[in-house]
Amino acid sequence: MTGDLLGWVVVFCLGYLLLTNLVYVVLVFVAAFENGVRRTESASEDYQTLASSRFTIPVSVILAAYNEETAIVPTIRSLLALDYPEHEVIVVNDGSTDATLDRLRETFLLEPYEVFVRRVFETEEVHAVYRSAGHPNLVVVDKANGGKADALNAGLNVARYRYVCGVDADTVFDPDALLKGMRRVVHDPARIVGVTSHLTIALDPGRAMAAPHGRRPIDRRPLVAYQHLDYLRAFFNNRLAWSRLGFMLCSVGAFQIWRRDVLEELGGYSRTFTCEDIELTFRVHERFLREGRDYEIHCLPDNVGTTEGPDTVGKLVAQRERWQRVIDETVWHYRRMWFNPRYRSVGLIGAPFYLVTEVLAPAVELTALVSLVAAVALGLFEPSAFLVLLAAIAFMNAALTACAILLDDLQSRTYRTRDLARLLLLAPLDLVLYRPLIIWARLKGSWRFLRGDKAWHKFERNARAPAA
Amino acid sequence: MPVRAWRFKSSHPHRRRSCTAGTSPGRITRSRESGGSAGDDDGDVYGLVVRVAVVVLALSLTAWVALSVAVLVGRVRYDLSRRESPSRALGEREARRLVRRASRRARTDRGTWLRISALRRLARARHPAAPRLLRTALGDPDPRISAAAVRGLGDLGDEWAIDLLLDALREERAPRSRIAAQLERLAPLPRAGLLPLLRDKDPAVRFWGATLLAPYRELGDASLVLLTEDSDPNVRAAAVETLGDRSGDAAAAATLALLHDPAWFVRVHAARSAGRLLGAEAGPSIVRLLADVRWWVRTAAKDALRGLGPEAVSALLPMLTDTDAFARNGAAEVLQDIGFVDHLALERPDSPLLERIYAAGGERMRVAAEVRTGRRKRERKARAA
Repeated sequence: MTGDLLGWVVVFCLGYLLLTNLVYVVLVFVAAFENGVRRTESASEDYQTLASSRFTIPVSVILAAYNEETAIVPTIRSLLALDYPEHEVIVVNDGSTDATLDRLRETFLLEPYEVFVRRVFETEEVHAVYRSAGHPNLVVVDKANGGKADALNAGLNVARYRYVCGVDADTVFDPDALLKGMRRVVHDPARIVGVTSHLTIALDPGRAMAAPHGRRPIDRRPLVAYQHLDYLRAFFNNRLAWSRLGFMLCSVGAFQIWRRDVLEELGGYSRTFTCEDIELTFRVHERFLREGRDYEIHCLPDNVGTTEGPDTVGKLVAQRERWQRVIDETVWHYRRMWFNPRYRSVGLIGAPFYLVTEVLAPAVELTALVSLVAAVALGLFEPSAFLVLLAAIAFMNAALTACAILLDDLQSRTYRTRDLARLLLLAPLDLVLYRPLIIWARLKGSWRFLRGDKAWHKFERNARAPAA
Repeated sequence: MPVRAWRFKSSHPHRRRSCTAGTSPGRITRSRESGGSAGDDDGDVYGLVVRVAVVVLALSLTAWVALSVAVLVGRVRYDLSRRESPSRALGEREARRLVRRASRRARTDRGTWLRISALRRLARARHPAAPRLLRTALGDPDPRISAAAVRGLGDLGDEWAIDLLLDALREERAPRSRIAAQLERLAPLPRAGLLPLLRDKDPAVRFWGATLLAPYRELGDASLVLLTEDSDPNVRAAAVETLGDRSGDAAAAATLALLHDPAWFVRVHAARSAGRLLGAEAGPSIVRLLADVRWWVRTAAKDALRGLGPEAVSALLPMLTDTDAFARNGAAEVLQDIGFVDHLALERPDSPLLERIYAAGGERMRVAAEVRTGRRKRERKARAA
């Protein structure tokens, strides 16, 4: 009886694995097509005119910062150096308890000014607004702590332009990030309400971005390299395909462009979720599809910047645990969209895809692991068969990862050849070296979701060389 | 790899049952070595699992190797050749291929972008076939193709290309903002073709005509003044924005008149233009907009007054006691931004005027000013020492 049950469990888990990987293979083909289209489109874009024309739509860049003293200066420098005709940088210090504000004051020669702003969104109290003596397009808002969504809403109150770009304080951007992000918007601002783009990862983004394009290094530490691969898979194998199929459900917090009137109409970023980015994307889809409005949300393959990745297992688990929690919260909150034809591809494919591959995945992965080990221990499965299964899963992941590396390199040619070779060799070992950590983090996240935990659990920033 | 090598263990006697007794995944089939047939293996679900795993392993291993080779070879080839400059001279064979591609109507998305790419390459290389192909592409029903033709025409910048761009602007063959960006990029070449746009029956064309006249300060003043009375508010807004960089009584009168326009965005543009065109003379008129019902008009008025600098002070001071709270705090904010508050706080800290400004701007304005001036005082002391 136990053997029967265990057998069925093993078959179910492997069936799930096979099915999800088949879906990923289909998505890879769609993503490859989308990547090709966007690459050709980008190659024929007139960036020079876009960068100098007064008809290019201005953008307010909003950065929410909480205890970011080590990371924030290179980030703001990269934002001020963006090659864009007209943009403002709004930094919201969300009640930091470290020296974030002092670093900003010293570096950018900030002085307090009384600025009367619109209060479109209710936020925690704003203590002061600072302007920079050296950078007229930099505004720093110092407010009481209210979480990232609250800080972004405070930034929206100050924003002057029609499009806003929410960014993270630990991300250093390429000078052409905004141009690349806005290149599709300028052609059709009436329909394109949201854009996100590909980001990579490093322990010290400032240092990584200092290397010239084409010779940018990928950190040698396996923990960072595997996170890099994770990002590549997420952007190139998934989000590009979702974008093509009309259900781009995650505009990442580190680089999210939105039309401001849409955010105002929807009530801004929500404070009731652990994290704001996925929920907002779901909300925009839900509203526009429910009302039958014409709109598009895109994910672009252009590499726009490098974000900081955790340098220890503990920090990584804390980060991924939070991501899992916000996915669970969002997918559950928008459960009315599941399999609902009213929400078109979002309801019929996107939301169920999230449910199956993200929400249920930790439970199935754990069950698979336990049942397979039990099957081997009980003598139902030969160890050699177990190893073949593991190898099949590992190389299936590795092939999908190699696809993502190929699509990224075709698009941007950012990294050194030897680093690409190293990533390719690391890919098959992902299953044993990296995946268990992620499964553990996702299980923790799911457990905390079930307990109703909504704390941020921010991980401590990596130690970096002091900014020049 | 023979499947039988991956059979399941059957060490327990109760599991030694033939698959014919059932195909439950938990049941163990007899191995071929112990007398089972091939058919027995086929019916075993575990056996199926392993066979699938072996197939998946073979396929994915092959795919991983092939993709890895593709990444590395592709990268090495790219590094060796480097990306070719799109403006380099085209070889005859390549040009023929591009012309073929640019002439073909694409049926797929990818085909469309390949056609766009070919058009761009041919335009940048100034290939003799480019004018014909761009003309055709400009009339294409696919907006992406026509937008690419617009970019190509901008790259060429010849007289006929400008005429085509102006026609495209009239007929909206691509997003007008993108056509306008190319026409502005080609300034001053399109100057003669812009004036007729101001008389077009389509208000959107008149709007772009007025907008594109901005760099030509000697051109079309009278027409722009006429357009400030246009029935379309967008046209009025564009006309007054362009007039902001002109001079003359007619332009000044028209701009001041639009400060009272019923459309709020016209008032926004009028406020900015009045500041640039009339300077301090426009101050008293602009300050009234600090009490406008629209937030963006008040913001534009503040921007315009900041632009006037110290010359705005005399117009701003009466607003400090206005009945409208927005007017009061707006005036105080501008006085702060142009440095007047700091000047008073440093030179005449006991001035009643400073108190009036603080009363209008609120306590936080005082605190901010004290922080700023405290720093300056310390700097002064340090310099003196």
